[in-house]
Amino acid sequence: MLEIKNLSKSYGKLKAVDGVDMKISRGETVVIMGPSGCGKSTTIRCINRLTEPDTGEIIVEGKNILELSDKELLKFRRKVGYVFQHFNLIARLSVLDNVMFHLVLAGLDRQEATARAQLALAKVGLANEWNKRPGNLSGGQQQRVGIARALVGNPELMLWDEPTASLDPILVREVLDVMEELVQTTKTTMVIVTHEVSFASKVADRILLMDKGKIVEAGTPAEVFGNPQSEIGIKYQRLIAS
Amino acid sequence: MLGFFRDGFFKDFTVLMLVTVIIGAIFSSGVAWAVDSYFGDTIDGMIGEYGEFDIILHIREEAREAAERELKRIAAEQYPGAKVDQTITIAGQANFFFGFPEEFRTREVMESLPAIFNGIPGINGYTVIIEPSILIRGVHSSVRTELTERIEAITGVRFAFKDGVNMLVVLEDMQYSRDVTEQVNQILDEYQILELRFPIGFEVDTQLTGEEVIDIIENEFGPKLLKNVTSLEHGDDLDAFLTALVEMRNFLLSYASKVRIQADPNIHLIVGERLVVQGLSDAKIVVGEESAQDHLVIEVLAVEGQNAEGIIIEGSIAAAQDTIKQDIYRLRSDGLITERVGSVELENERYKLEYTINESLKLLHELDELAHEAHLAVDNAEAILDVFQEALIQLDLLQIQMRKLNEGITQGNAQSVGEQLIISLLLNGLFKNLAAANEEQTETPIETLENLDIEAMRSSLVNIADQIANVQEIDVQAIIYQIEHLRDSLPQMEDEDIGKSIRLINTYLAGQVIPGERVQILVEGEPLDEKVMEPIIREGLDNPYVNTYSVSAGMVNPDARSEILRLLQEIRATIAGIMAVIFTIGILILDHATIFSTLKWVLGNRRKIFTWIFGAIVGSVILTLVYILSGAEIPYVSIPVVIILGLMIGFIVVVMAEKFSPVDRNEIMAGQALGLSNVQIMREIVIPASRPGLMNLLNRWKQQF
Ligand SMILES: Nc1ncnc2c1ncn2[C@@H]1O[C@H](COP(=O)(O)OP(=O)(O)OP(=O)(O)O)[C@@H](O)[C@H]1O
Ligand SMILES: [Mg+2]
Repeated sequence: MLEIKNLSKSYGKLKAVDGVDMKISRGETVVIMGPSGCGKSTTIRCINRLTEPDTGEIIVEGKNILELSDKELLKFRRKVGYVFQHFNLIARLSVLDNVMFHLVLAGLDRQEATARAQLALAKVGLANEWNKRPGNLSGGQQQRVGIARALVGNPELMLWDEPTASLDPILVREVLDVMEELVQTTKTTMVIVTHEVSFASKVADRILLMDKGKIVEAGTPAEVFGNPQSEIGIKYQRLIAS
Repeated sequence: MLGFFRDGFFKDFTVLMLVTVIIGAIFSSGVAWAVDSYFGDTIDGMIGEYGEFDIILHIREEAREAAERELKRIAAEQYPGAKVDQTITIAGQANFFFGFPEEFRTREVMESLPAIFNGIPGINGYTVIIEPSILIRGVHSSVRTELTERIEAITGVRFAFKDGVNMLVVLEDMQYSRDVTEQVNQILDEYQILELRFPIGFEVDTQLTGEEVIDIIENEFGPKLLKNVTSLEHGDDLDAFLTALVEMRNFLLSYASKVRIQADPNIHLIVGERLVVQGLSDAKIVVGEESAQDHLVIEVLAVEGQNAEGIIIEGSIAAAQDTIKQDIYRLRSDGLITERVGSVELENERYKLEYTINESLKLLHELDELAHEAHLAVDNAEAILDVFQEALIQLDLLQIQMRKLNEGITQGNAQSVGEQLIISLLLNGLFKNLAAANEEQTETPIETLENLDIEAMRSSLVNIADQIANVQEIDVQAIIYQIEHLRDSLPQMEDEDIGKSIRLINTYLAGQVIPGERVQILVEGEPLDEKVMEPIIREGLDNPYVNTYSVSAGMVNPDARSEILRLLQEIRATIAGIMAVIFTIGILILDHATIFSTLKWVLGNRRKIFTWIFGAIVGSVILTLVYILSGAEIPYVSIPVVIILGLMIGFIVVVMAEKFSPVDRNEIMAGQALGLSNVQIMREIVIPASRPGLMNLLNRWKQQF
């Protein structure tokens, strides 16, 4: 359903993404891993054009995303759930509003939007916290609100950019549990950037290893961690062994 | 950039701009109006309600109560119904309003104001504020009577009267103000005072010259209504100042050391060139070498043939008592002595002055003593006169005795012939002796003595005594003290300082017309062009230095209140302008900075120039429209300047937008990821999170969450 061809993005002289190709099928869960600064975030941000790539093609269901009009782009984004490392919740809105406001702005009836939001919140275990402000929640809860917000639009594609990276270690688990469950219960295509090796091994259909803006290795978790070919892969293998 | 404004944000933004401008205009003009009305009230408080009072009397503060009582008395007794009120006291001066009742608002009363208020205790003068009126400034005395008559004939004029050099035209009603002003101006246009000014030093017989000028004008332009109206009124302050400067220069010149130069044959000195003299220095002058520090540098002031006068501009001969005679040399600007040009005589005027003063002081000391001695002498003389008179009386008695004795002898009443003879001989001998001493005299000594007018002598002695007493009464000691003080405090100026001062004054005077004599000709009817007149008069009078000016016979001034109101209007416009600027800066920082920072982030670094342009235009549009709509007008600030100022303010706010109004990029990014349009991001995320303000308020209409 998603095909990326020769994607590149530079910041000045720095090549953040340097000719990335990937092909992801519907329902597949792909985990992107790699050292800090290797271009993972830039790559998935390019997918819904939160970052405009310099060159390349991003084809979703036969359409090049980079050629969409403004209106089409907005429509496309609504079908893509995006989970941020820093949650990116709207501070002034309640939990419920955070989850539903974009549905209403997209034209959905308020009541229906509320119902769907409550459902999404229930899915992430926050049904009772709907009336709170994000500032009054723990990091794990906030990220679960972020996940509920991404879920509520019934996305066909979900992009996760290190959803647990800014959480306390003890809070990481609750988020990973929610994620695991989502992967198992929904058929949504997922592209997950994470450093959580065991989580990746468990949920990934395929793992892509990136280094310096390039994909250096790709394969099932068993392939990538069992018999790594790249320098990075070997490092991850050692990490698991230890 | 355009994408950002699509789907409705442009509309939102336009509404925001519109409301911003309207509120800005209301704010700016509102503040200005408030200030204006505050001052307006204050002014009413200061100069009274319109037409309520006619005069402000300025009274020394300490005499305030006495003045008030006297004013109230005048109001009650002389002008029943008159109003007196005290107003502000400024700098030790109390001010009273005085309003005449209607029937006393006449020319007679107004022209006798000085007499009416003369006796008020502590009076320092008064200002006429009678309303409604028109003030004509500087009415020339030659046309005053005629002007008064003509102006009083205008409809709407109640009367006109003289107030110092001005004339006040009192109107029936304010509504006539414009018409009357216009007509007065027309009348004034018919009078022109042609003024001829002669440079200082020209002695002009104003009468004769006036007639001459009238002839010249009539020769040139045919018969006209011309009158010599040269007045003795003094020139303005500048003239007085310039005259003072000239006097000062002359004083300094007379006080400076005299430098008389005798140039050698074939040497031509020119005014302004510099020469050098050895003076009191030990260093000899050597041609071809540099001049020494303490040589005297002299600037040539005037040249006549081989004689020249100069002034010392460096060095001093203060220590010299006698005239110095020395050779004088040319001095190049780099200090090199080039050649001998002649000889010079230097005289220390200040030494001479000091000498003279010292001499007169000696004289004064002597006079004091003399007066004292003379007094004693007169006293003595009187005593002598007394004795003398006594002696004369005795002498008279003696004569009578002797006559009787003589008669007695001749009539044979004596005791014996022998005795008679002896006495007779004695007497004859005595008389003969006296006669022998004064043979030429026709009168006998006794007669001479008798003919002396003792009384006259006495009275003249008394006179002398009185005069001497007067001399003694003049405190000669005090005078001596004063003169000594004068001598000691004579400016301890060196020649150098004097020279520099004179040069400074000369430089200043060079650009000025020095007031001299003036002749004024009243021209009635068609005015003459002074530019055309000047060469004609110069030629006619055969004097190329005379300058010609055209002076109006008077100038209409709006009355004090409308002048103040006009000023207030100006102040209001200025305040509105300042408020417009403040408002623009404020609203840009508080409100628009949010939009600017969002724009900057959404457009990214590469397109930041668009946000700069956008911010500058927004700033300019707001400032310019608010400025115009609020009726602002800052002196010397034209609309293009306002536009540029707005551009600058907008630009600065845009550049610093994140400092004023940071936006939460994470929230914006969430909005983008959720498929919100830019306008939705602005309405739902950016603006609600920004400071409460105009934009925030307007946004409520559209905001859904
Ligand atoms: N907006 C930007 N401007 C300039 N440089 C950027 C920007 N975003 C990312 N980069 C740079 O591009 C490179 C790739 O960044 P990216 O965020 O994609 O890495 P990452 O793999 O996600 O790293 P991390 O694990 O730290 O999140 C990094 O060196 C980063 O500094
Ligand atoms: Mg990243």
